[in-house]
Amino acid sequence: MLQLREIRVAHGAATAIWDVSLAVGAGELVCVVGPNGAGKTTLIDAIAGLNRVAAGTMTIDGEDLGHLPSHRFCDRGIAIVPEGRRLFTGLSVRENLELGSYRKAARGARSSSLEGVLGVFPALKAKLEAPAGTLSGGQQQMVAIGRALMCRPKLLLLDEPSLGLAPSIVLEMFAVIRKINSGGMAVLLVEQNVAMALEVAQRAYVLEEGRIAAEGAPAELLASPHIRRAYLGES
Amino acid sequence: MSLPSATLLAQSVLSGVFIGALYGLLGLGLSLSWGMLRQINLAHFALAFLGAYLTHQLTGSAHWDPLATLLVIVPAFFLAGVVLQLVFARFAITPFNSLLVTFGLTVIIESGIQAIWTADPLMLDTAYGHAKFKLGALYVPLPELLTLLLSTALAVLTWAALRFTDLGKAMRAATEDAKAAAAFGVDVQRLSLLLSGVSAAFAGVAGLCLALSFTLAPSQIYAWIGVVFAAVMIGGLGNPLGPLVAGIVIGVSESVTMAITAPAWAPLVSFTLLIFVLLARAEKI
Amino acid sequence: MTIRISARTGIVIAGLALSAVPLLKLPAFYESFMYLVFYWVVLATSWNILSGYSGYFSFGHGAFFGIGMYTTATLAGQLGVPFLWTLPIAAAVSALFGMGLGAIVFRVGRLRGELFALITLAVTFVVATIVLNTPIDGGQGVNLGGVKLPALMATPAATLYMLALALAVATVWIAHAIYQSRLGLGLFAIHDDEDVAEVLGVPTFRFKIVALGISCALAGVAGAIHAMFVSYVTVGETFSVFVPLTVVLMSVLGGTRHWLGPAVGATVITGLLYVFTAGDFAVAGRAAVGLILVVVILFMPDGLMGRFVHAARKRPAAEEGSPASPAVPPAAPPVPGRAAIPGGEPLLTVRGLVKSFRGLRAVDGVDLVVKRGEILGLVGPNGSGKSTMINVISGHYRASAGSVVFAGRGELAGLPAHRVAHAGIARTYQIPRPFSHLTVLENVALPGMFGRARLARPEAEREARTWLEFTGLAAKADALPEDLNLHQRKFLELARALASRPQLLLLDEVLSGLTPSEIDGAIRTIRAIRDQGATIVFVEHVMRAVMELTDRIVVLNNGRVIAGGAPADVMARPEVVTAYLGKPHAAVA
Repeated sequence: MLQLREIRVAHGAATAIWDVSLAVGAGELVCVVGPNGAGKTTLIDAIAGLNRVAAGTMTIDGEDLGHLPSHRFCDRGIAIVPEGRRLFTGLSVRENLELGSYRKAARGARSSSLEGVLGVFPALKAKLEAPAGTLSGGQQQMVAIGRALMCRPKLLLLDEPSLGLAPSIVLEMFAVIRKINSGGMAVLLVEQNVAMALEVAQRAYVLEEGRIAAEGAPAELLASPHIRRAYLGES
Repeated sequence: MSLPSATLLAQSVLSGVFIGALYGLLGLGLSLSWGMLRQINLAHFALAFLGAYLTHQLTGSAHWDPLATLLVIVPAFFLAGVVLQLVFARFAITPFNSLLVTFGLTVIIESGIQAIWTADPLMLDTAYGHAKFKLGALYVPLPELLTLLLSTALAVLTWAALRFTDLGKAMRAATEDAKAAAAFGVDVQRLSLLLSGVSAAFAGVAGLCLALSFTLAPSQIYAWIGVVFAAVMIGGLGNPLGPLVAGIVIGVSESVTMAITAPAWAPLVSFTLLIFVLLARAEKI
Repeated sequence: MTIRISARTGIVIAGLALSAVPLLKLPAFYESFMYLVFYWVVLATSWNILSGYSGYFSFGHGAFFGIGMYTTATLAGQLGVPFLWTLPIAAAVSALFGMGLGAIVFRVGRLRGELFALITLAVTFVVATIVLNTPIDGGQGVNLGGVKLPALMATPAATLYMLALALAVATVWIAHAIYQSRLGLGLFAIHDDEDVAEVLGVPTFRFKIVALGISCALAGVAGAIHAMFVSYVTVGETFSVFVPLTVVLMSVLGGTRHWLGPAVGATVITGLLYVFTAGDFAVAGRAAVGLILVVVILFMPDGLMGRFVHAARKRPAAEEGSPASPAVPPAAPPVPGRAAIPGGEPLLTVRGLVKSFRGLRAVDGVDLVVKRGEILGLVGPNGSGKSTMINVISGHYRASAGSVVFAGRGELAGLPAHRVAHAGIARTYQIPRPFSHLTVLENVALPGMFGRARLARPEAEREARTWLEFTGLAAKADALPEDLNLHQRKFLELARALASRPQLLLLDEVLSGLTPSEIDGAIRTIRAIRDQGATIVFVEHVMRAVMELTDRIVVLNNGRVIAGGAPADVMARPEVVTAYLGKPHAAVA
């Protein structure tokens, strides 16, 4: 469904992503792991349209995404839960969610989408009118995921959803992600918490210094020396 | 320096409210473009005066009803605002340079006004100007009342639009985080154009109010800059109700000061208020 | 730069040449015209000393000039004070007023620049109001026809000409002197990045006030002389918005970052204006002035002198690839006070450090000791608080609680950033923040000039060159930061941090974004720095470098220290592995 072929993305003046090819099939849950500075956020921002692709091709369901302006990416069915949430803190939770369904095709289904999101995150019901900035980290993460779901995407992108969250909340978060995926939505997950990510994913890529260093099934990767070396520096 | 009578004081407060409403109306467009587009549009004042002169022309020479002039002025000014924003975007003007460019624009517009209408003071003479209501012992002139109504209506409408409509929410979101907003389909470029156009249209409406209540002269453009910016800064950037409330506070303070001392000290009031607010708010503007 | 002396001599020579003009006995028109040129040169150049150099654009130069004008009008016209005495008084009154205004506005945190512009715009009206409504003017204007002008030259016109010429020469001379001085460098640094300048030791508040004072004083004297030129002073003419507008335009056209720019712009515009106002085109002239300002900002933001300097500068092209890393550091200067090598005694002691942002504890009670002469690695997953630690230690943020004690310098927590810098701590920024309009050499010379050592410029530049050689950037000394690639810019950050001769160097993810071979070179350089006696705290994600370089590691997670010790040992501990890799739902060995 999503196809990246030898893409190159810059971060500021420097090239951060080199000749990366990856794919996400319909309904798949794929994750990209790698140490910090490897370029994971740059990569996922490019897929979401927040970053320009300097070379290579990026297509979803065969349609080329290369020349689209940023605000058209969600029309193609791509929604992102950005690193650090990036909620609109001055707006209420409800308004943040409503903005998720800003695009025309999603606007009509707004109320049913909202019901759906509240079904996944019942804890938000009590917080709908609160300013988004006053919520705890875990709750904000729920709002961020909810906002992306309101967009009714085909592909959900998550950039380090476990960042800054307590371990128990991280467990809940990944349970939710698994549930969303089991409902049929394709998910591309970028994570630093390797163990959790590899637990839920069906396929994984390892990104190191801007290039794909390994790919395959989670069990294989966990057993390989790649991960340990990339993260812990064991020689 | 003797205290005036209660009636005189009340009348002063009332006229302070009226002039404050005009400060608020002038400040509304300015606050929107500064707070949400990060542009300091000094030309807003020149534009308002242009609107005032156009109102004068259409009403005086072509005998239009003053309110009817809005039908022409509002769309024309909206377009002018859109064009201005296009230029700013094309040249990637920084907030500071926007101040300089609009300073230059102000002078160009002012010179244009002087070329067409000369520097002689112009006063609009209409039935509106002479109409007055009486509220107990107080006089309520129609033009001033109209200004108050228009200013309040526009401020409330803007506030409501930002608060309740999808477009308004999108604008607020884009002001905070343009990239995240774009990720969810918000066309930030188009919203900026809309906002700039609306801001300029508000300047046109302010021009009508100016024409109805004041004698116009090109040099007068600069007299409003200080006090309106004070209202904008005190009211809080980007807050639609801010300039109105702050404007009225300033207006009433000025009026009362004038009633108690001498009329000529008015410019000092807003300036002093502003310095105090700055000192109090220090880091938080 | 040997040109330095010639420029000032050139100014004096030009001045002497121009002073011969009255002897030519040309028609009065020429003397008047030249007077106006000098007058605008003074106004524009004095404006530029603060606004062009530091970036704090004032729109109220008319107020300061008007104060000078009315000081003379009042003292000489109404109180009978001899004219020449009013000149220094006008300078003083104007300067005090401006500095008082600056003292209030410059203390405000954000938006200082825009606020300063708007407040100075409003100030003009306020001053005009006060002048108009008090006996200073009272609405009638002040007639100076009866004031005796000292007969310095044959005719009054020639006397005014000479006074204006002398003032113009003095103003341009002062502008050049500041441009070359420590004050000037500080102002330009403030223009590019005031916060970083402050961290490097530039006393930003003081410099801005001083520049404002000089600027206002010169404008005040110009006003004093001009009062005699017009001989009938009115509020409307004096405080019209035309003066500040024209001054801004002249400087922007000529180039605000250059000492000669405003003078060039003043000459050009005065000539143009004469063409317009000579005829019946006063209004058109004004419109043209506005139009020129718009066009110049849009298309030529650096002005005429900016273009000229750009073309004349020999800029080495930015090549791809890294600077040659020294295998052995060449004659790096032994840093004084560090001869005693690592006794391993504590250099920095952090106790119970807490930093909260709106309820979120980014650093949550950290105890840490940095030993003299070591390379300490500070690692941890994203969001663990590493960068926040650096920011708090260096004074960029104020600590919410806890103490930071620096050997021999006492408690650092709570001190402003430039005092921490003076204590001997330097840091690099994760995303390099060089002063974009200063050359590489100037960037590296600045800390030496403003740090604890307070070196004179020539000495600071000599030292800077040594550091540039050390980091392999010697060939780029005259380049601008925009000509460097990312790796070179990171090394520029490093050189600049080293130039302040710190005892403790904090490196914030200095390797991120570098290619593997560039990382190798960087590792060698960092080791060389330590070998000279510096102590280094090294925040990094590139594990390879951490393992190779560090003597000890401290691991942070969620704002707390979870482990510390030798690198290989620490990174194998289960709690560290969990922190990095995460605890799987079903425990996996």
